[in-house]
Amino acid sequence: MNLWRLEILRVLRTRRWIALGAVYVGFGLLGPLSAKYLAELLKLSGTGADGITITFPPPVPADGMAQYVANALQVGTIVAVVVVAGALAFDAIPEMGVFLRTRVTSVWGILIPRLVVSFAVCAAAFVLGTATAWYETWALLGPLSASAVAWGTLMGILFTAFLVALVAAIAQWAKGVLGTVLTSLVVLIVLPILGIVRAIQVWLPTRLGGALTELTSGTPASEFWRSSLVAVLATVGLLVVAAWGARRREI
Amino acid sequence: MISTRALTKRYGATTALDDVNLQVPDGSIYGLAGPNGAGKTTILGIIAGLKEASSGEVVLGVGRHEIAVLSDTPQFDKWLTGREVVALSLELASAGTDAARIDQVLAETGLTEAARRRVGGYSRGMLQRLGIAATLVSRPRLLLLDEPASALDPQGRREVLDLITRLRGTATVLFSSHILADVQEVCDTVGILRGGRLLFQGPLHQLLVGSAVPRYEVRLRGNSAPAIAALRRAPWVTQVREFNAGEVLVEVRSLQDAEVGLPRALAEAGASVVSLRPEEVSLERAFLELTQ
Repeated sequence: MNLWRLEILRVLRTRRWIALGAVYVGFGLLGPLSAKYLAELLKLSGTGADGITITFPPPVPADGMAQYVANALQVGTIVAVVVVAGALAFDAIPEMGVFLRTRVTSVWGILIPRLVVSFAVCAAAFVLGTATAWYETWALLGPLSASAVAWGTLMGILFTAFLVALVAAIAQWAKGVLGTVLTSLVVLIVLPILGIVRAIQVWLPTRLGGALTELTSGTPASEFWRSSLVAVLATVGLLVVAAWGARRREI
Repeated sequence: MISTRALTKRYGATTALDDVNLQVPDGSIYGLAGPNGAGKTTILGIIAGLKEASSGEVVLGVGRHEIAVLSDTPQFDKWLTGREVVALSLELASAGTDAARIDQVLAETGLTEAARRRVGGYSRGMLQRLGIAATLVSRPRLLLLDEPASALDPQGRREVLDLITRLRGTATVLFSSHILADVQEVCDTVGILRGGRLLFQGPLHQLLVGSAVPRYEVRLRGNSAPAIAALRRAPWVTQVREFNAGEVLVEVRSLQDAEVGLPRALAEAGASVVSLRPEEVSLERAFLELTQ
């Protein structure tokens, strides 16, 4: 038994992998389906009291991926933050923190397995959900550009790395899992709000979370270099902050 | 094994530890006694490297990897089995996976049957014993135990104290407790802490004999009033109190005075003496006299 196995067991025995997989794969299945049948679904619900009829253009393949991203980016991010915070707020129960901290020579020994396994499981869920959405889109709406999906997936993974590093940093300063989750979500909500200003938006790492939508709609991958650069730098910086916070924290 | 020099810890305006010079001899079982909030956990935390001192220093005679720490209410991930917790502790402390050693400590702590059950189903006493198993498994040279028996029922407490006693000679143990009977039972060296200050430190017998005011318990038959009056007049007697009919507690300046003067004073007063003996000094009494 070592800290790597401990983290793998955490994911398996607490069934966190099911929660993440269900959210991403579930939306991967439902996204393209709802894009395909959105007009019919609204028709079934009837017209409004004022007799207004809403007419949708015929769905295109990009709509399938857009529906997936819209749902997965919200609910998936919340679930991912909860899962990652549960692993990285290791001082949330001080007695557990004492057990671990007094048995390792460096806090990196605790942090690295938690960071890697949390990132791996979140990224795997995202990739699996994207693959599902891609297949479902192809089956229902038509093919998508493979390179656009591949770039979008890569950027989604980069966003996941940023998210894990952000939660890790906050976990070493916040009190408990709940505090970590709420603070992380506030940051992840505030950043896109700043993106209302276009000049800021192109630099935001959170833009990468929705890159799949833009890329499959025709936006070139080169549009995302600034967000990607900031995401990489922020991830590294946040990991340094996490290690610093973990070292200086007293329990 | 451990010494601290002018160790001080402040939290804002509050001083949790004030100029503490701890000396824990190699191989000793050192009991750090004091009321809640005295600073016991803070000292252990600083020695364990979990807290930073505001000033002063800690000198350790062992490497960090040879220290094991047990918190007062150990907790572990509920989805691990007891055996996995002990195995994890061993792996982290010594990078080893000695299955026989894991089984041995589980047996010593009475957890063999529960070893493959998940920790979430353990009682508080079982968690405490699991914490001790996880602490002992790597054969540490220094154990820091924070109130190891305070949360246990009498049987669990008995088992934990026996385990600590068995460590004598194999490891140095520094354990904190506000249960003075526990300290008196298993420790050879004692430190008394109050309000962050170390009021006494030394061998247990020195505290019991040296710090407590000597008293004699005298049992008299018949009218005890003349004897009590005579004792009150004696210059080496500081206090006389009849706590039951015919049972008198005589507080004296020194045992030597009492050994010579007490039988003579009683004989001169014509008292009928049933028994006469020095009061057994408990750590509790010594502690109270020291801290009040």
